[in-house]
Amino acid sequence: MNGAGRGLSLLAGGVYALILAPVVVVVALAFSADNFIVFPPSGFSLRWFRALAGNAPLLAALGVSVQVACAVTLLSLVIGVPAALALAKGRFRFREALTGFFLAPLLLPTLITGLALLLFFTRLRLTATLPGLALGHMTVTVPFVIRMMTTAFATLPHDIEAAAATLGAAPWRVLRRVTLPLALPGVIACACLSFLLSFDETVISLFLSGPRAATLPVEMVHYVEGRTDPLIAALSVVLIIFTLIVVVAVERLVGVARAVSK
Amino acid sequence: MTGYLELTGLHKRYGESIAVHDVSLAIGKGEAVALLGPSGCGKTTTLRMLAGLVDPDRGTIRVDGADITRLPAHRRNMGYVFQSYALFPHLSVARNIGFGLEERGVARGDITRRVGDALALVHLAGLERRRPRELSGGQQQRVALARALVVHPSVLLLDESLSNLDAKLRDAMRHEIRSIQKSLDITTLFVTHDQVEALTMCDRIAVMHRGRIAQIGTPEDIYERPAARFVAEFVGRANALAATRDGGGIRIWGAAQPMNDPGWPSFDILIRPQRMRLLPSAEPTGDAMRVEGRVLRRAFVGDRVEVLVEGPGGQLTVELPSGGTLPEEGTAIAVAWRPQDNLIFPPDAA
Repeated sequence: MNGAGRGLSLLAGGVYALILAPVVVVVALAFSADNFIVFPPSGFSLRWFRALAGNAPLLAALGVSVQVACAVTLLSLVIGVPAALALAKGRFRFREALTGFFLAPLLLPTLITGLALLLFFTRLRLTATLPGLALGHMTVTVPFVIRMMTTAFATLPHDIEAAAATLGAAPWRVLRRVTLPLALPGVIACACLSFLLSFDETVISLFLSGPRAATLPVEMVHYVEGRTDPLIAALSVVLIIFTLIVVVAVERLVGVARAVSK
Repeated sequence: MTGYLELTGLHKRYGESIAVHDVSLAIGKGEAVALLGPSGCGKTTTLRMLAGLVDPDRGTIRVDGADITRLPAHRRNMGYVFQSYALFPHLSVARNIGFGLEERGVARGDITRRVGDALALVHLAGLERRRPRELSGGQQQRVALARALVVHPSVLLLDESLSNLDAKLRDAMRHEIRSIQKSLDITTLFVTHDQVEALTMCDRIAVMHRGRIAQIGTPEDIYERPAARFVAEFVGRANALAATRDGGGIRIWGAAQPMNDPGWPSFDILIRPQRMRLLPSAEPTGDAMRVEGRVLRRAFVGDRVEVLVEGPGGQLTVELPSGGTLPEEGTAIAVAWRPQDNLIFPPDAA
């Protein structure tokens, strides 16, 4: 037994049960044999998974979501990691102000960001396009990457980069041989979380989607507006499994990278 | 004064506070010098300026006549052993030590051979494939030393390198580092706040105080002939006794003393505790310095005993070798010492 008493453990268990209960309902519905959402289901089958495999609009939306998430992940790292490096290591004026500025979008409700982006992108003809969606998602992921990586860079072991420099490594060699390898767990975590944030992003996507460019969450919202069958539950189960795989993979990768770097 | 490593008028301020104030120092080829001082005296900042990790505001740094003041750290060829060791956690011991050689483009075979030699030098042969976290503190320290030495640096810089080791290991490493330093004949600058480290590992000591060098000299100079009151009190311990004048004669704790008047309006006399001896109150002492008091407390420290004596002017500590007979607490006693052991300074300004 650890320090937490029985009462605390019970409380934690209760909270988890509350959070996970809806998931249990969704999983049960996904295997329903009924035509409509009825709980508990009258029988079980895999018919809604088969229906999902044949639903072209949802599969197309899945393709859009994966493309957007991949682009968002790559671009967020390309922009966020160097920015974090500059903010954590650089010595220049307005560094504090810039740090605050880059983190500000995280504090803004995505509803407002979405509306602002819609108004802004309409003039640029970026609404309902993949680049538009990717840029929209990056208003969430880039600040996130900057924040996480600034911390990762700032908490590197003391003097370790100075040690590399005194041993004859030029600044870019220090970056390549010491700074980046030690920050790798953070980079991997940022990549996976950026992907999931983008894949899951709904509010901004609702503003920026159109008939030719709708992400999976948007298409799912539209589907449940018109239909009440368990197809969406089946899709949810697929997404849950996919997310779990990513999270476990991150845990493994980052865990391994941590072990290697300590 | 010229030397292999020359610092001239080095100056560094951080905002309002001056970290290093016009520090000049010349160190000969193969010489080991300690920068000794309390924390915050500017010694580490001085060392970091030498390595190119901190830019000086003014002053020059020369190595073998060449001005390197504005050279970036990676082009200075200085070995630096950090207080935290700063080993690369993601690299093996061999790759850690070979890092500087790889950066210099040394051939792979030569790297393997030189890393092996360096490991043998610090008695760690066979640990090539370990990771730093798998080593003890003492072993990490040796790896850090080997990593700094393997590139044949022009100067070796050590920043409080022994302070993270336990006392026994520190003693062993002190002798080992000194003998390596001598056998390689490498010009070395130690930063330390530990006087034993400074006294035993170095040819000369520069005592730093509030950003300035208070005194430079051999360990014996520093200890026996401190040039400033701060040096006398920081290196070794000292009893400070206020002297008063009484019609031309000089009195301490009210007792007349057989010493010459230094001519200052007022002054303190500092005496090392182990240069004092205790004797029965009635016994005469001839021409020795002498005060009267009573034994307040005795502390047994193993190889020595510290006796705290209280008198009319305050308290003082006398240090005696253990094993002898000691006066009981509360006994009236005389404390005597030779006039040549007096260290005379103006009263503490602080």
